[in-house]
This record gives sequence, structure tokens and C-alpha cells, in this order.
Amino acid sequence: MSNSNEITETLFDDEKPFLERAQFAYRYQVVNNPIYKVFASHFFGENQQPDSVAEIPLMPIRAFKELELIAEGKEPELIFKSSGTGSMSRSRHHVADSWIYRKAIQDGFNEHFDTEFTTILCYAPGYSKNPDSSLLWMLNHLIENDPIGLSQFLPLGQPLKKEMFEELYRPDRTIVLFGAAFGLLDLIDLGSSPLPKTAQIIETGGMKTYRREMSKQELRNELSDGFSLPKKQIHSEYGMCELLSQMYAIGSEWLTTPHWMHATIRDPEDPTRRYAPEIEGKIGIIDLANIYSCPFILTEDRGVADEEDRISVSGRWNPADLRGCNFLIDRD
Amino acid sequence: MDSQVLDRIERVQRSVDEWLRPDNYSLKKAIDKTVNEGHFSFQDIKYQVQTLKKRLKKEEFILWAEQAGLNSGTNQKTVMCLHAGNLPLVGIQDILAIALSGHRYLGKISRKDPYLPQTLLEILRKENLVDGVWSLELDDLEGNRADAVMFSGSTNTAGPVITRLDELGIASADTPRLMRTAHFSIAHIEDNQPDTMHDLANAVFRYGGKGCRSVAMVVAPFNLNSSKCSFTDYVESFWLKQPQHQKAPPSLYHRYAYNKAAGIEQAWLDEFLIEETEMEPVDPFILHWVKGDRQKASELANRYKNSLQSVYVTDPSVEIPNLPVLPELLSEAQQPPVWWKPDGVDPLRWLGDL
Repeated sequence: MSNSNEITETLFDDEKPFLERAQFAYRYQVVNNPIYKVFASHFFGENQQPDSVAEIPLMPIRAFKELELIAEGKEPELIFKSSGTGSMSRSRHHVADSWIYRKAIQDGFNEHFDTEFTTILCYAPGYSKNPDSSLLWMLNHLIENDPIGLSQFLPLGQPLKKEMFEELYRPDRTIVLFGAAFGLLDLIDLGSSPLPKTAQIIETGGMKTYRREMSKQELRNELSDGFSLPKKQIHSEYGMCELLSQMYAIGSEWLTTPHWMHATIRDPEDPTRRYAPEIEGKIGIIDLANIYSCPFILTEDRGVADEEDRISVSGRWNPADLRGCNFLIDRD
Repeated sequence: MDSQVLDRIERVQRSVDEWLRPDNYSLKKAIDKTVNEGHFSFQDIKYQVQTLKKRLKKEEFILWAEQAGLNSGTNQKTVMCLHAGNLPLVGIQDILAIALSGHRYLGKISRKDPYLPQTLLEILRKENLVDGVWSLELDDLEGNRADAVMFSGSTNTAGPVITRLDELGIASADTPRLMRTAHFSIAHIEDNQPDTMHDLANAVFRYGGKGCRSVAMVVAPFNLNSSKCSFTDYVESFWLKQPQHQKAPPSLYHRYAYNKAAGIEQAWLDEFLIEETEMEPVDPFILHWVKGDRQKASELANRYKNSLQSVYVTDPSVEIPNLPVLPELLSEAQQPPVWWKPDGVDPLRWLGDL
């Protein structure tokens, strides 16, 4: 099989059709990932391969909790763990090549913003205190790559002050405020000053706050009102410990993928079946940046797609609704 | 017990007897239509009807009323029942509880079990035991204000249910509600004798494993590998007599493929999967097999108590320490007494307290 450089060049080569790159990743996985090999062998014989993106078998995301997913012969440079409390088991992502993660972060962000002219403010705990977090690693990376060093983690529990924005102001740069949904709402409650008119907000999820659960729409309204910014400047980022790439929803709740990633809505009862737009199902993701762990993932998130193949996340899938007595599933 | 309650019990009993008479043409017709339209298998309906014939006895109704402290002084309220349709006649206990309590009935009949419950409701109405309206369409009930709501679901679905009822002017977030969230039961067995295996097969595979009384987790002193062959014999014999009506979705095969990849011990039964894991049973058509003793059964029952209906044992003398629920007999898993308590709450007592 190809060496590491060839592999990454192929995966990130947007001149090549996605199917071709996905088939390349499939072949790599079947040869180098013994766990995926066994899983895939139940759908395709040794000399067969999927003819379409939808046919590629998606590994249930719980594999990241229960198994060590790393290509044979690779050692992890980084290990990320999902957040979790008490008895909850945590996902672990063994990252064999941190260069790929850096590239996915940088290129993904630059599809929508320009790191060179962006001052990133992160309202989140610092990376040093949470070395397991892939999100904080990502934010830290973006901060460290600010060419003029204005980007930073913000102190927790303190409102954003007008003076800080004045100090950070540069005519050619845009401020991007990153934060978990509940953290950003806290900033509003703390009495933060309105953000500069050109500022952008990226919320990174976590809408089940300690206060209450809210929809994306409600959240966007509250952030827009609270920070005095139009909703077109409120964005969302969808990422997780199990994925090295991120999706962004720019000025709306509809997420788009970078060119090395593919997200579809699958029938929970038949994950090889792709749902048409507006039908809610499980989100299936192919993230080629996961080449050394597992790029083919069936998440436990619920979502819908639109006509442009954009995805909107509506929450967690609850299979228990199908097993017990349930009035709602009677909607036929 | 006051005479009015006793009179009501006698009338309910008479109605049930009339309903279950072999020559009840409307029930026979409803069964035929249900089977012909593919809602349930004839065998599953027959089993349910036979269970009801066995269980709906006057002395059982009296016991139920006594346990619930039912009296005739109850103020009549309107109670909305949103019936599930995962098993034939799954909502019958709620209907009977309302008939006994004297409350007014407002019913959303499941489109998955559209005919059977209505045959009983018609007879109860004729006897003036059920006063109210019911329909297959929730929208048909618009404007009928309910004082209380009974339904099954999950904590995730409660919000949308109440929102919809609110939109239709039926109930609001403040309306008292009895919501059941349990979705599985555990069986603890200590041997693999024919009676035990036979009862276990019925408790697991009846109704395709649907419903909160069905066993989705077994705690046994032997592992799956050692008992796979003998247990599957019982399963095959069970399915020979009553083939599984609802086929398992393709996702079950994905689960099988995943288990293979993860090295999880399992038995593939085409329409069902048995796997040796302690995960919470949430997916249909999967039986979780756990090697363990009474202590283990207790640990699992407590771990999953928020989703658990019952823990079954094979003998009344078996004592499992610190169970969060009262144990029941495995042989009665699919044949509960009329006064059984979904989610540990007696619906008749709940209605009496309204």
C-alpha cells in the first residue's frame, strides 16, 4: 500500500472525485484495520468493493468506545477522549498522524474564514487543563497559528468588555468568538458588551444546558439578541472526538462538509439506505481524515438533509422509542 | 368495598365475558381484519385473548379495586388515553381502569391496533361503563378537554406529545399525566431445565420481543456459548408454533457484523440476535445474555431501573437482594394479572386519586 504522504495527498486531492478517494480509503481500511476488515467482510467479499459512497459500510460510532481503532503498524501521536461523567464510557480516538488533524482543522476553517485575517477568541477552558479534548486541541491550534498572536482563550466567568474589543481591533481583521452554546449564553448573562459589528460567533454545540434544552433556532435567536449581531453572523460547528474534520453551518443551522468529508442521513433500520431530504434519520459520516482510525461512521445523532445535501442536527437518536410501548411512533 | 364499586365490577365483568365469548362476531371480525391487514399474527392475538380470558376474572377485579383503594366517591374527570399499538390490545388495562373508576374516556386508538380495542369499548359503552369518544385520529378529538392524560413513551417524547395535545386544546403542560417509560424486563434463571427454557423463550420472543414485559436481558449462571445450542432448540420450537410476525430490520445484520468485528459472543437467529453484553437493551430484536448470579441480576436491575419494568424469577422462593422492583414469575411475563403495575404505578389507583 502507498506510503503516508501518498495516502494523505490522495485523500485531500479535490481534483479526484469523492467516490474514488472513499474507495481508496475503503481499500486501505480493509487491508490495515483488522476490526473494519471483519465488519466490512459481512457486506463485501475479499475482491469486491462498494460501487457508491452510500454502499460503504458505516461502523457504529460505539466502536470508538469499545475498541482500539488504529491502523496496523501505527502508533498514536495523540489520543482524544470524549467528555463523559460517572459511569459513562468515553470514546477514544487514537490519532496516528497529527499533521492530518492540523490540515483538516486549517483547511476546514479556511473554507469559511481566513485564519490570516481572523482574531479567534475562545470562551472555553484552556487546552492545558483538558488535554483529552479534541475541540480544545483544535481551538488551541487555531490560536497558535494566528500570525500576529492576538487570538486567545478568554478567562472564564468574566464578561466580554468593550475595552478588550478596542484593544483587539485591527481594521483588516475579523473577530471570531468560539464557544459552547451554554458558555456563550453564560457570557450574555454575565453582562457582556455587544460584539463589534463585523464579529462572527461560532457555537460548538452543547445545547442541553444545565438550565434547559433548546433548539438551534432558539439558540441562534438568543445569541443574536444577546450579542447584538445579525443572525447571518451566528454560525455552528459540528465536530466530535471521533472525527478529525469539522462541519460548519454558516449563518444558518445547515451544516456543510469540507471536500474530504461526506455526511448523509441514513435509515436507522437499514443504514445502507440513504434518506431523501427532510426525512429524519441517523447521521452517517465519511471523514477521510480518519484514515488511520476509521473514516466510515454511523453516528447516534438525529438529523435531516436538505435538497443541497446540507445537514441539520436535531439531537440524539433514541432506539428505546422503538422497543417499548410508544405513542409517538404510532404516527404512520 | 362499597356497593357501587362492586356493581361496577360486576358490570365490567359481564361486559368482558360478553366480549370474550367465542360467538362474539364483532371480535372475530376485528381479529380477521387485524390479521388480514398484517397488524399482528393470528397466533399473537389468540395468545393475548386466551390470556385475557384467564386473567379477567371477578375476583381479580375485586383484588385490583381493593389494592387501589377504589371508592365510589370519585369525581368524574375526563381522561385522555393515548394507546400504543406495539402488541395486540396493549392498552386494555387503561380502558378497564377507566371503566372501573367511572371517569370519562377520551381515546386515541393506535393505527397499529385499530380494530380490537374498539370492540371492547363498544360493549363497555352499551353497558354505560364508558362514556366518551375515541378515534384513530388525534385531530378528531380536538377541543375535547382532558383533565388527565395517560400514555407510554420516553422522556424525549413527552414534550412533543404534550405540545400536540396543547395545540388541539386537549391538554396542557400542567395537565396531570401518567407516562410510562419502561421498555424491557430482565429474567434471572438458575438452570436450563425444559420448563425454564420454554418459559424463557415465550418471555423473550412472544410478540417479537416488543413491549416492556418482554425479556430483553437474561442473567444466567452459564455463558451464552455453553447454552446457545440448547436454547436455540427451544426458540426454534417456539417459532415453529408461532412464527415471528414482524421481521427484523437490516440493521440487525449490521449489529451482527459489528459484534463479529468487536469479538462479542453472539447467536444469530435470522430474525433475532442474542449477544453476550451488559449494554442497556434499547434496540428491538436483541436479547442480551449475561453470565451471573443473583447479585449480578440485582446490579443490572439497579443500573437500568429507569427503563426497567420487571425482574422475573423461575421460583417464588428465589430472593434477589436490593431489587428496585418486585420480582415476578417468568411464566407470567406475558400473562400478567389485570392489576399489574406498568412502571410500578397502578393505573387504577392513579385514576382514583385524580
